[in-house]
Amino acid sequence: MRLKRGLGLADARARHPDIDVVEADAEADRRLLVALADWCDRYTPLVAIEGEDGLFLDITGCAHLFGGEAAMVADLVRRLAEQGFDVRPGLASTPGMAWAAARFSLPAVECGEEEEALAPLPLSALRLEPAMRSGLESVGLRVVGSIIHAPRAPLARRFGKVLILRLDQALGVVEEAISPRLPVAFLSAERHFAEPLLRLEDIEQTVLMLAATLKADLERRGEGVRRLQLALFRVDGAVNRIAVGTSRPMREPGPIGRLFHERLTALGERIDAGYGFDLVRLGVLAATPFEDDQADLVASAPDGEEDMAFFTDRVRARLGEGALLRPVMVESHVPEQAVRNVPAALEPKQVVAAGGGALPAPDTEIRHAERPIRLFQRPEPVEVTAEVPEGPPAHFRWRRAAYRVVRAEGPERIAPEWWLDDGETRTRDYFRVEDMEGRRFWLYRQGLYGEAEAPRWFMQGMFA
Amino acid sequence: MAAHAVAQATLCALRQDIARIEGRLAERLEPPPGTDMTVLRHGGRAFRGGDLLATGVKAFDAALDGGLSRGALSEIHAVQTRDAGASASFTLALAALAMKERQQRSLLWIGTAEIFREAGLPYAAGLTQTFGISPEELLFADAPKLADALWIAEEATRLSALAAIVIELRGNPERLDLTATRRLHRRAGDAGRSVFLVRQAAFAEPTAAPVRLVVSPAPAALRRTLTGPLEGSLGNPAFSVSIGKSRTAAGGRFLVEWNCHDLAFQERQQTHPRRLVSLSRHGADLAPAAGAVVALETAPRRAAAGR
Repeated sequence: MRLKRGLGLADARARHPDIDVVEADAEADRRLLVALADWCDRYTPLVAIEGEDGLFLDITGCAHLFGGEAAMVADLVRRLAEQGFDVRPGLASTPGMAWAAARFSLPAVECGEEEEALAPLPLSALRLEPAMRSGLESVGLRVVGSIIHAPRAPLARRFGKVLILRLDQALGVVEEAISPRLPVAFLSAERHFAEPLLRLEDIEQTVLMLAATLKADLERRGEGVRRLQLALFRVDGAVNRIAVGTSRPMREPGPIGRLFHERLTALGERIDAGYGFDLVRLGVLAATPFEDDQADLVASAPDGEEDMAFFTDRVRARLGEGALLRPVMVESHVPEQAVRNVPAALEPKQVVAAGGGALPAPDTEIRHAERPIRLFQRPEPVEVTAEVPEGPPAHFRWRRAAYRVVRAEGPERIAPEWWLDDGETRTRDYFRVEDMEGRRFWLYRQGLYGEAEAPRWFMQGMFA
Repeated sequence: MAAHAVAQATLCALRQDIARIEGRLAERLEPPPGTDMTVLRHGGRAFRGGDLLATGVKAFDAALDGGLSRGALSEIHAVQTRDAGASASFTLALAALAMKERQQRSLLWIGTAEIFREAGLPYAAGLTQTFGISPEELLFADAPKLADALWIAEEATRLSALAAIVIELRGNPERLDLTATRRLHRRAGDAGRSVFLVRQAAFAEPTAAPVRLVVSPAPAALRRTLTGPLEGSLGNPAFSVSIGKSRTAAGGRFLVEWNCHDLAFQERQQTHPRRLVSLSRHGADLAPAAGAVVALETAPRRAAAGR
């Protein structure tokens, strides 16, 4: 076709009138690269994205699982080619060298051979800025070989320390770490399948098997899992990651399997098995020391009774963090802030951090006036007629229905917490009212008469 | 002596049979004194009369044949969503009674997102004050959908830490049919744990719950002071409870009051908080209630519910 980068669209059209023009979509390219990085997770947990078109895979300690480095590279290239990608692999013992090897189609570079391999390559093999490269080329330094043995101090002074750093990184003199895209599970078990898994039941069975594998390692470390991730690698390259948390350390495969059962059931249709999963991996993202309980000779709980923590975990796995809540008293006069409903799985430490539970138990003794048993999520505006401006309401209209107040108690004045807020909040006068039929409501008037803004009435809760 | 005991046991078994045919609670039959017979319910648990949750209001308990079954699903209805305060508190009062008898147990309140949005979230400060349930004993579940709420409820019946489970929802969803309620009822029965199904703005439909109570608000009692009731004050909450369905099939409307200090139900004293009409001079012939009775609502509604 003889089309080149930088060629004008008109020129290209002149040469090939029937050409298709597609706008470059950097975002889509990026997404594809990320998906590819996800897929490469099957070879090593340490995958980093490099630039716009590269991936770093740190295969230290992983190659033997695939029958050696060469076999691993061959497998990767073959699988990606099957997916329709043109891959340039580079294998070396430093990231810099591997980068160059991939760009210049070098065969695998053994440790110690970097200098030899780099010497004939042009300077662009060193991941240098174009400006620096042209600067070097203008003084006649065109290949890496010409700067490897050149005096370093003048080079650094003239072209900056980056040049020396890049050179040292490629040669392995300076250690370079790649930054993996995903948190690395410190313990993981995986299973490859020749025949892809399609059914949810099979996946659950596999989870049980993997959890049993992990159990031995966890026991050796004296730990139990707190957070687990299940990675499902689909045949066509998509990767599903499903995480569950537990509220106490756990290592038995049975309960772990049930947690994933809930999670998978909740996800249901959203997991698209497509042509099936050919690799399932269970990774431990977080673990804490596990305290072994001395088993009781007398069974403490009769059969069928299970404990609260596990129930909480299962609800959390199925419906999310906010599904199970427990109330925590907070030191505040404002009714809606006095009780906070926090996720039941939160630990006391986190609850305190969230601003709750700071109260010692005796102080939760309610000493103020009656509080309602239900509180609306946000106070609802009501139209009120009162006999005297500061007095209790006589009639009010709430949710398009009119109510006549028969009895009322109040006001209970709750002033804003001036030491906390910005002074925008207004004083509230609360009234307990009972309507004709005996419904008891909690109404308040926000603001005082005589202020610039007229007072407004709200309905906040219902009494017993 | 042995022959006597065997005869007694036979008699007891026969009475149980009769009770079953009559549809009463067989396990409630007291074994004859002097025998150490235990009546077993399915699941192998021994029950000896302690499986009824008595409210403490005599007439109401009598109409329910002793009280609400403990290991069962009980339905509590409110006709309108704005009565959610009354129906929820009546349920919580029952749950508080159940919790008082079993020490150190907690309460799970499951609600669909819809009802929590419409009728408000439970407010722990008020619950502590009114029902003596401390915040540590409370657990709320905010279920996005009805199916999730039912799932949580079914799973929660197995938890030994819970004294009672409350499921609150709105209206008559199709999913909550005879099968779904039957599942809940069986689970509750197996675990011996009370499950209260609170339905706001719902009409009666066939469910597996043996008891359905329709709760509507009633004017609160006056505060009691040393000098007598304080005029115009709002004291102990009161509810008007009518029995929509029960094993005894005895209907009736009861005005019960919840005593927040003793944490017990009590019957409303006859003095009405406010005088509706002035008494006639001779003390006889009260003026008839205003308005005309348009229809008797109980009978046709029952027919519509298919019972």
